[in-house]
Amino acid sequence: MNLIAKQEKDGRYLLMGNEAIARGALEAGVAVAAGYPGTPSSEIIENLARVTTERDLYVEWSTNEKVAMEVAAAGSFAELRSLCILKQNGVNVASDFFLHLAGSGTRGGMVIIPCEDPGALSSINEGDSRHFSRMLEVPLIEPGNFQEAKDMTKWAFELSETLRCPVMLRSVTRLSHASGNVVFGELPVTHHKARFQHDGFILDPDTGMISSAPVAYRHGLQQEKLQKAIELFETSPFNTYTGPENPELLVITSSACNLYTKEAIQLLDVGDRVGLLKLGTTWPLPPKLLGKYLATTDKILIVEEVIPFLEENVKILAAETAETIGIKKFYGKRDGSIPSVNELNPDLVITALANILELNYEGVAAAYTEKALPLAFLNAPVRDLTFCPGCPHRASFWNIRTVLKKDNREGFVCGDIGCYSLAMLPTGFSTTKTMHAMGSGTGIASGFGQLARFGMDQPVLSVCGDSTFFHAVMPALVNAVHHKSDITLIVLDNSGTAMTGFQPHPGLEVDAQGSEALKLDIQAICESMGATVQVTDPFDFKATQNALFEMLQIKSGVKVLVLKQSCALSPEKKHTRRFEMSVDSASCLGEDCGCNRLCTRIFRCPGLVWDKVNGISKIDDAICSGCGVCASICPVGAIEKREVA
Amino acid sequence: MQMGGSKELKEQVLDKDLCTVCGACVDLCPYFKAYNGKVAQIFECDLTQGRCFAHCPKTGVDFEQLAQNYFQQPYRGDALGFYRRITAARAGEKLGSGQFQNGGTVSALVTMALESGLIEGAVLTDSEGVKPVPRLVTQAGEVLDCASTKYMAAPTISCLNQAAGKGLRNLGVVGTACQLTGVAQSRLNPTRKEGFEDPVALTIGLFCTWSLDARKFQDLLADRVDTSTITGMDVPPPPAEIFVIRTHNGTVEIPLPEIRAIVPKGCSVCPDMTAEWADVSVGALEGSSGWNTLIIRTEKGEQLVEKAVSEGYLILDAFPDSSLENLTLGAGNKKKRAQEKADMEEE
Repeated sequence: MNLIAKQEKDGRYLLMGNEAIARGALEAGVAVAAGYPGTPSSEIIENLARVTTERDLYVEWSTNEKVAMEVAAAGSFAELRSLCILKQNGVNVASDFFLHLAGSGTRGGMVIIPCEDPGALSSINEGDSRHFSRMLEVPLIEPGNFQEAKDMTKWAFELSETLRCPVMLRSVTRLSHASGNVVFGELPVTHHKARFQHDGFILDPDTGMISSAPVAYRHGLQQEKLQKAIELFETSPFNTYTGPENPELLVITSSACNLYTKEAIQLLDVGDRVGLLKLGTTWPLPPKLLGKYLATTDKILIVEEVIPFLEENVKILAAETAETIGIKKFYGKRDGSIPSVNELNPDLVITALANILELNYEGVAAAYTEKALPLAFLNAPVRDLTFCPGCPHRASFWNIRTVLKKDNREGFVCGDIGCYSLAMLPTGFSTTKTMHAMGSGTGIASGFGQLARFGMDQPVLSVCGDSTFFHAVMPALVNAVHHKSDITLIVLDNSGTAMTGFQPHPGLEVDAQGSEALKLDIQAICESMGATVQVTDPFDFKATQNALFEMLQIKSGVKVLVLKQSCALSPEKKHTRRFEMSVDSASCLGEDCGCNRLCTRIFRCPGLVWDKVNGISKIDDAICSGCGVCASICPVGAIEKREVA
Repeated sequence: MQMGGSKELKEQVLDKDLCTVCGACVDLCPYFKAYNGKVAQIFECDLTQGRCFAHCPKTGVDFEQLAQNYFQQPYRGDALGFYRRITAARAGEKLGSGQFQNGGTVSALVTMALESGLIEGAVLTDSEGVKPVPRLVTQAGEVLDCASTKYMAAPTISCLNQAAGKGLRNLGVVGTACQLTGVAQSRLNPTRKEGFEDPVALTIGLFCTWSLDARKFQDLLADRVDTSTITGMDVPPPPAEIFVIRTHNGTVEIPLPEIRAIVPKGCSVCPDMTAEWADVSVGALEGSSGWNTLIIRTEKGEQLVEKAVSEGYLILDAFPDSSLENLTLGAGNKKKRAQEKADMEEE
């Protein structure tokens, strides 16, 4: 039995934030859950997918976030409770539908959960989706600990049904991926019955058609819902205050920052001087509640990550109520008390508190830092971000770089989002030269492919993964084919959404629930679009390089090269070795002219190590995955491979 | 002699567009590769001294050292370099017929050298379509495949580097001045590489006033003719000022200024028309199509020619005084122009 589906009420368990959210959804009786994989959100769908039978659920990894939100919305329209899970930038992908959904309203409770990544630990952006709640006019709630992650998720469905609009519940990495104690509530008996009523009076929210039009009427309704939300938020138990009646400083915070602030107050021992207003309902803000606490002091510190969203909204309320609460001194991001980039931690909050309260606090002793920094710099080995041993991307980018350099026309690759984003770094031989959103590599390439008319004579390439191909590359590819852009798309097909943990995608025969799914063929799709397509194995250097050279010679139109080789960590490959590798120490040239450590200096698979004492390369048997690729790069054939029987 | 590594080679030659694609730096290591008439550095190498730099004919050649090593004399800067004698030559009947540019002297000498075992392989330049491609020939019968001038820069020496890397020795090399200057430098093991063995047993130079940028020339050809119908190319002597392409469908003439516009910059600083650092050098003989000018430079070259004549591979004839005058003038002018150009570059 899966932990999150345990019937036991009142049991206390150590749960990851994402597990707590999944449990909350089960306690709410969720029927439909859809998402697109993205750190730190992926475990919510994964956990729900494991209990689909016992909890009578439908769970899917959708093609992209917009489709995921649409799939979840259908559940709501059919009077079921539904959930849409995405990471921060996924909200951008879904935002067009989200805008219209906010206008049309919902039926069954619908909760949208963005799990965000302040500090960009697993992202190439520090997106903050909270603005969407204000921009699209939907309520936003933020759990401040692990118990709340569960409880507020359950409440979010009820709130959505009361208000008849989607509710955003925002989590962050340190909540989604950290663990804490969670006391379970009851799991409901579920008999989901789906029915879409559409023949009633056109404006009837229960039986009419569902749309954001007529706009003025529905927009008005939407704002009434927000007014109702404010009333509910005024008395929400998820907004809490701890501290003296008239604190010297009032800290207003939400989400994981609540935990940092509590720790900071405790470490500084200023519980008698500082009040902590933890908000669970962060938009729209309840003005009476805010007014009550703002009036208790003159100094306000707002502790939040990324954009000063809470700070600005609090300031608006403070301006509106200045007559009654008086003039305040605000501390936060705008005055530099709290850093404007990167995630926060207790130390940063301590620094802010100590400055405002004029305390002498040394989080880390200066003498320690002085001693530790140079030691770490001099003694810690350099550990660059790197592709795994046996990763097909290393071979793919070796081939791409080699061909582009030999071709010698300053050709370049537009990158994309996936493990292969690392190709902008030395591990991918610094091959990709642009990197933005999912699918953007091919869209940008499509544009570059039109610039020959302005004298651009460089070959234009883009790369994408197999999951990204379905997510957002297909429309860009259609654009490139239709407009006859002269580009080559390289699909790095490693048979899974590898970076986020092998979630299935439309190119595979299985879905999120482990059921059989219809597999879409990337080669056939590209061919049907009118592209010239070849498929090679990136481990076969000769075939791959020849194919790419050939494509670069075709002067117009879209070429697609599918490089097919599954991820070294894929379930079928992990812990297996195709080859036993060895280095013939007698023929290894080492640092001599003619090689100069090509394998350990440039190729740099972690399975290859440099033996400084003997001046030769060696195989690290514990790390080598036995892919055999390094045998192809050694200029003198000193790296030998022997097929494992 | 100044020493450097790949970084200096890239900065001083490739980035300055001075590379003539001789191939001297190619395939010595995994870093320098040639593809379709261009040399590129694939990955960075951080050695401060490398054979790539030391063998390159454009990084500064120590003529004094070459003269001492190959001719045991101080370098004099003569228009035609060091030589023992100059003669008119053409292939003898023993060779058989082929698509020769002129008299077939090179094909005759290489065939004889292979057949007699003087060399075990010859590094030549073949073509694929119109593209010149380096080729290692080990059978005398294959030599004629590679006959006739290619007019395009070819990384021929990469083929020597590959063969030497595989341990082959006693090789003959046929090449132009830049190619054989690279070879001459490499044979002196300038980087003092351990266990070095000279893989070269014979060098045959080809006269060259310029070659053409392979990619630009292929584009130009594709513009003017169906390249699959080309049977030969030629530059008739002055005052013609044309480049002639012979095809199955007749001849196409291209004005010489259009051709000169696609000569690599590296050729304009080359001081060597007659491939001075070779055992023998071969070119056209003005006014006598079907004959070659043959410059015999070394004792080994002398022995090769004598043997070729005695075995019926080669026929010699007297070299007219007027031809010597013109040849000396032409080669001297190239030296002068190169010097001027090089001075300008330095300024």
